[in-house]
Amino acid sequence: MSKVIAVISGKGGVGKTTTTANVGLGIARNGRQCVVVDFDIGQRNLDMILGLENRVVYDMVQVMDEEARLDQALIRSKANSNLYFLPASQTKDKSVLESEKIEKLLKDLRKRFEYVILDAPAGIESGFEHTIEFADEAIIVVNPEVSSIRDSDRAIGILDSKSRKGKEGGEVKKHLIINRVDPGMVERGEMLATDDILEILSVDLLGIVPEDKGVIDASNQGHPVVLDDESEAGAAYRRIAKRLCGERIPLVEPQVKKEGLVDKLKGLFR
Amino acid sequence: MFPWLKKKKKKSASVAKDRLKIAIMSDRTGHDLPFMEDLKRDIIEVIKKYKEVSNIEIRKVSHQETDAIAIEVELVEQK
Repeated sequence: MSKVIAVISGKGGVGKTTTTANVGLGIARNGRQCVVVDFDIGQRNLDMILGLENRVVYDMVQVMDEEARLDQALIRSKANSNLYFLPASQTKDKSVLESEKIEKLLKDLRKRFEYVILDAPAGIESGFEHTIEFADEAIIVVNPEVSSIRDSDRAIGILDSKSRKGKEGGEVKKHLIINRVDPGMVERGEMLATDDILEILSVDLLGIVPEDKGVIDASNQGHPVVLDDESEAGAAYRRIAKRLCGERIPLVEPQVKKEGLVDKLKGLFR
Repeated sequence: MFPWLKKKKKKSASVAKDRLKIAIMSDRTGHDLPFMEDLKRDIIEVIKKYKEVSNIEIRKVSHQETDAIAIEVELVEQK
């Protein structure tokens, strides 16, 4: 059984594309056939995060318009052979998306992949609605910050009302990822805690990703942080991927780092 | 002089939580009533027979014990 999972956020800039790349690669590392699709038509970001920008020849709009075959457009990840990437079109805008063509594309992808992960555009315009239309599940990415949480609630509302599953009386299964958590700020009461966010949004928690400078470093190199064994954010993404693969992994709340005397001394010489 | 004697400022996370709860509650009204748009259109059609409508607003009003729908119709003043 294959699954179509849309990664959504409402507001932009919360780490949606980074999450798509890391979750997709994490799933592939668990031995599952996975494809990540950039639905952010006209923007194109996922290729950079995955380090595949130089390999893009055809895009998903050309596949939908039958100007290219699916296997010509799919790009295999350098990091893991189970992961494929389908690029967004940079030249066309979101208005080119049509429901029937999307449905056909997703049907073809479902035949080949166990996990089809769609990186939705920011906002809740038509591009967003098309991304969620045929989704079985959705990952909602939020930052522990008021505007992100408010906008994600609106996106969830649209997910429930505009998705095919929602219209047919069912429900798209929803998972929440809280991204960029600063445990020190949470401890000092300066940042919304996990329980607060869950109480407000009432969506099942899939994972908590701590703020981690390694994420930007990883993006710079096109080498997603999930590959970095030292990184805490990478570890969080590895746990998330395992949960999506059906493993029971307990949730880990990011902890404040306790600096020992040795670390403090090291810090002085940095 | 004695900063630790000052009354503690309310933590910003709890302020955020309270503000979000209210903002989201008001955002949600309107989305959870699927017939809203149809209802608006019908009301406008009826009133139009008599007077011009400039704005119509339907919202959920929740008091301690009751949930109700409030309908507000603004009419254009005829000179």
